[in-house]
Amino acid sequence: MNEGDDGAATAREEGGVTETVVTRIFLSVDQTGSDLLVVATRELRTIARTPALLALSAAFVVSVAGVAWAGTGGGGGFVPLTLDLLTFVEVLVPLLAVAFGYRSILGDRETGELDVLRTFDVSRTAYVGGVYLGRALALVSLILGTLLAVGLLVPFLTADIPTFLAINAAADSGVRYVRFVALAAGFTLTVLAATVAISAAARTARTAFALAAALAAALVLGIDTALVAGLAGGVIPESGLPTLLALSPNSAFRSLVLSTAVGVLGGAEVAAGNPLANAIGLGLWWLGSLGIAVWQVWPAVDNRDGE
Amino acid sequence: MSDTDPSPTALRARGIDQAFADVEVLTDVDLTVDRGEVAAIVGPNGSGKSTLLRILAGVSPADDGTVAVPVEGGARSLGYLPQRPAFRGGFTARDTLAWYASFLDGVDADDVDATLDRVGLTGVGDRAVGSLSGGMTRLLGLGQAVLGDPAALILDEPGSGLDPAMVERLFAVVGELADDGTGVAVASHELPAVEAHAETVHVLDQGDFVRSGSPEALLEETETASLSAAFRSIVRPEGTASTVSAGVGRDASGVTDDE
Repeated sequence: MNEGDDGAATAREEGGVTETVVTRIFLSVDQTGSDLLVVATRELRTIARTPALLALSAAFVVSVAGVAWAGTGGGGGFVPLTLDLLTFVEVLVPLLAVAFGYRSILGDRETGELDVLRTFDVSRTAYVGGVYLGRALALVSLILGTLLAVGLLVPFLTADIPTFLAINAAADSGVRYVRFVALAAGFTLTVLAATVAISAAARTARTAFALAAALAAALVLGIDTALVAGLAGGVIPESGLPTLLALSPNSAFRSLVLSTAVGVLGGAEVAAGNPLANAIGLGLWWLGSLGIAVWQVWPAVDNRDGE
Repeated sequence: MSDTDPSPTALRARGIDQAFADVEVLTDVDLTVDRGEVAAIVGPNGSGKSTLLRILAGVSPADDGTVAVPVEGGARSLGYLPQRPAFRGGFTARDTLAWYASFLDGVDADDVDATLDRVGLTGVGDRAVGSLSGGMTRLLGLGQAVLGDPAALILDEPGSGLDPAMVERLFAVVGELADDGTGVAVASHELPAVEAHAETVHVLDQGDFVRSGSPEALLEETETASLSAAFRSIVRPEGTASTVSAGVGRDASGVTDDE
């Protein structure tokens, strides 16, 4: 073989290697997606067969309907309904996320199925992604469905607003309410991710419950209380408050709702931090939590050879 | 060997080291299991059997050493039955196996039914896993382990806590799997069953195999009439009453409690 032939052969070989690597990556991604859906399906079936979660879901629906019916919101318009539901969602979503998520991975660890799954070559990404997707589909459907359903009551309960959806940003409108519902879904996804991370990291039910309860308490009360105390004590400068608010999922969610779904109160613009910083804060909590879950779910084993 | 012949080796471990804190549980352990072979790993409580099996199954990383399993394009190269198998509630035995089968290429509902039949659970396939007896749950665990016809099976105390009839039934299934070409590594304290079904017995003590051979060879070497007597002769020197091992280090803390 002359030099030119040799070069051509090398090029063909390199092309073959590249093609093989690309094919393997494609197959790996395809396999991960397929395994992820298998895991997610089991999570959905598990939730559908867990009476405690169904009862909690029913209680949430009844509670939201009660707030919409009894508060000023349902009869006052979309923005008043949003303000009525905001604190309610801030408190109940973390509690629901804990209920839906804290045993999700821990349960498989306790039965030993986490170990067994690894002999089926299920990747950590596929497993954690599937658990999260299944639980998230159920919980977000519950939150979205309930909030949208009570939103649909507003035109019927409110006598003095038109029964069509206004698109004028200055008006009390269904569009603003839909923004609130979408933000509530994002908040739910974030808090559920944190709960799934706890479920992946905890080795006992007691630890998982303690961590999940601490998370819910921190989200609902702890972080905001610390910020207020920091401000009052002069530890936190007022100029740094918007950034610090973005670090708390509850504060970030609240600020985003006030700035994008409420906007104007009594003719004055609502000062509610930096929407971009708040969105990034929620995104970082989401990404960081899922990253921790994948990292913690089981150790990497690299002393395996195929022959 | 031609390209189409399967590797005669189902599992090969070399130089496995594992320590917890300052307790050396496994020291330079080597093990080879051929296809069709039932290799029993016996040893005192705390000798590191479960730790070794978890490393062989790829569930736990070893401090050092390698584990090799054949990769021949099958649905799965290795199956693992943990010491106390349990399954998520709310599903039937058939649902559970079908879910695991979903991860394997080419394994379908017919294979799930065949697996239920193979481990003797066809009659309770539609029963919820929570209502299965301890023995049936272990058989279901064995069912998930054999899904996809892996070349190697790792079984951790499959007969622990079961009545003698159930132990015999379980080991009979293991023997049939080996007859079909599967290499089986099984940790067990059920020495009569081991004596009846294992081709090779590895005695693990003080972090390494202190004896390896066929049951007959061990009986001959120790001049005993049963594997139980041979075991006592090998792992309990004269004047020592306990057969509970605590590793090689100064402190037993950190040793896994599932030994």
